[in-house]
Amino acid sequence: MTVLAPVFVLPQAHEHPVPWRPMARATWLQHRGGLIGVLALVSACALAIVLERFTAPSYARSLGIGSVNNDSFTFLVYAIQLFPVVIGVFVGAPLISRELESGAFRFTWTQGVGRTHFVVTTLVLLGGFTVASACLLGALLGWYTHSFEVVDVQSQWQSGLFNATPLTLPAWVLFALVLGTFLGALIGRTVAAMAATAVGGGGLIVASNLDLVHRLLAIAPLVTSRIPPMSMAIGTLNLTSYAGGGLSGSWLVRGWVTGTGGRELNGLAASNVMDHVQSAVARGVTDPTRWLSLHHEAFWVSYQPASRFWIFQGAEGGVLIVLAALLGLATVWCVCRRA
Amino acid sequence: MNVIETVGLGKRYRSIWALRDCTLAVPAGHVVALVGPNGAGKTTLLHCAVGLSTVTTGSVTVLGDLEAGSLDALERVAFVAQDAPLHRYLSVRAMLGVARNLNRRFDEEQAERRLRTLDIRPDTKVGKLSGGQQAQLALTLALARHPDLLVLDEPVARLDPLARYDFMAFVVTAVAEDGLSVLFSSHVISELERVADYLILLTHGQVQMAGGIDDLLAGHAMLSGPAEESGAVTERFPVVQSRSAGRHAQLLVRTNGRSAPPAGWESEDVSLEELVLAYLREPSASTRPGPLNLMGHYATEVML
Repeated sequence: MTVLAPVFVLPQAHEHPVPWRPMARATWLQHRGGLIGVLALVSACALAIVLERFTAPSYARSLGIGSVNNDSFTFLVYAIQLFPVVIGVFVGAPLISRELESGAFRFTWTQGVGRTHFVVTTLVLLGGFTVASACLLGALLGWYTHSFEVVDVQSQWQSGLFNATPLTLPAWVLFALVLGTFLGALIGRTVAAMAATAVGGGGLIVASNLDLVHRLLAIAPLVTSRIPPMSMAIGTLNLTSYAGGGLSGSWLVRGWVTGTGGRELNGLAASNVMDHVQSAVARGVTDPTRWLSLHHEAFWVSYQPASRFWIFQGAEGGVLIVLAALLGLATVWCVCRRA
Repeated sequence: MNVIETVGLGKRYRSIWALRDCTLAVPAGHVVALVGPNGAGKTTLLHCAVGLSTVTTGSVTVLGDLEAGSLDALERVAFVAQDAPLHRYLSVRAMLGVARNLNRRFDEEQAERRLRTLDIRPDTKVGKLSGGQQAQLALTLALARHPDLLVLDEPVARLDPLARYDFMAFVVTAVAEDGLSVLFSSHVISELERVADYLILLTHGQVQMAGGIDDLLAGHAMLSGPAEESGAVTERFPVVQSRSAGRHAQLLVRTNGRSAPPAGWESEDVSLEELVLAYLREPSASTRPGPLNLMGHYATEVML
């Protein structure tokens, strides 16, 4: 009996190097441990949010029948904000540094796919997966925190929440992923790259929460309105209902009181005026704004209107995506220069 | 067609030149041994040939006129690096899957058949395999790509004699079956004679000797005779290395086709090991083929 051995047919030359489907399979095989870890983390966070949304007192408080559990809220917001750092440190940083450190790049970069195509495709595939995960988490967090917003306990403009929406959280994740990859390609040592990513990415998120978001919100001119006086209106506020229904959802930056001649009163004088308003309201005055006018005084606020929220979100997301793209190009350059 | 051709190749790492003015043309269909002392630039030359290193000066082409490291070249050139670095955290099966999906040309059946022959189990982690098995796995993955050129960087350096024999036997079988060209670097000179038919000797980042092993051996001879008459030999032959013990001298010479030694001198064939060691001891001596001439032949160049 004659047995015919299977004949291996060589592909035609000059076809597309390697299609994305096999590349996706190779990426999965190489990074399935990390991806399963990310999936487990996302699932745990999602479960915690859903449980908290339905069981915690915050939900009851949003319905006006209980007290707010601010501890759970703070923990969840901080945990979600750590997500980009986790991705950058545990997925991005080892991506290339581990290959460099183990010498496996001498295998990977000499395969038919070529090193540039390999790095770009791997980044795109991992980026797509982690960005989709972040979108899901951002949406879930928004659904959870909405119950706090409607009772004015928190505002979507606050930096912690501002950086964790379905738009900005994925942008932060993408940025951290590419930052980690770039630092890994640059440093070539896994642990050092992870540490540098934790410091760099984490530091930038903290700086954003403390300062950068506020600077971003100050870029566009503020809108100034004369509104009914409110006791908490001196200084920076973000609580919407005090400002009246018309300003609901706005980011109140500043409130001040003007006296005769329209000059701004100092803190003590403004405080006295607010005390007088409260006394007048207690005596039965129903329109404190008119009452102030009669005394040649007025209460003013400057704010970013609620309608600009997604514009600012887009601006921050856009900046992060541009930075990620630049870091991605730098990573490819770094990989191509590695010799 | 030349499987590797370098012209004025130079590679500098910061201020140190690993390769300098390296010109070389290796014809297809050979098993080429690249030898040289530590730090001679062997790994750098191989890395330039597979596109892992960029060149500082000059050029490298492979398989005719393909730029080293280009996608067309990567598809037809397979490389097994020193210590066979693979993804040690993956199973053999996953490693096979990665290699299959990173190449358009990959003969999975051949690879699986070969791994079964080697008794390497698919579920084993790569990091758990012995050094010999890892080297065999790396070679299996490389050959499953059906390359036209296989480049091996010190493939047997850390293998025991049996594993070394099996590894090189696998290479020789692949050459016989697929007709591919092989370029491998090695310190083990005894291996060269058994598998290689072409030799490149690299010293201080430059090609010191290159050519077909049979031609090189035929072109050299060990002459023994009276030390006081050494002048008669040096007038007639370029001397690669001379040794004397009392009144007796032994000269390794390049005969350039003239086989008859001077009167009073005896001529013996040279072994490959003797030849390589002689050139290694005399870095100033060199013989190498230049670029192809118009007739398609190599112009042999001898410099002493």
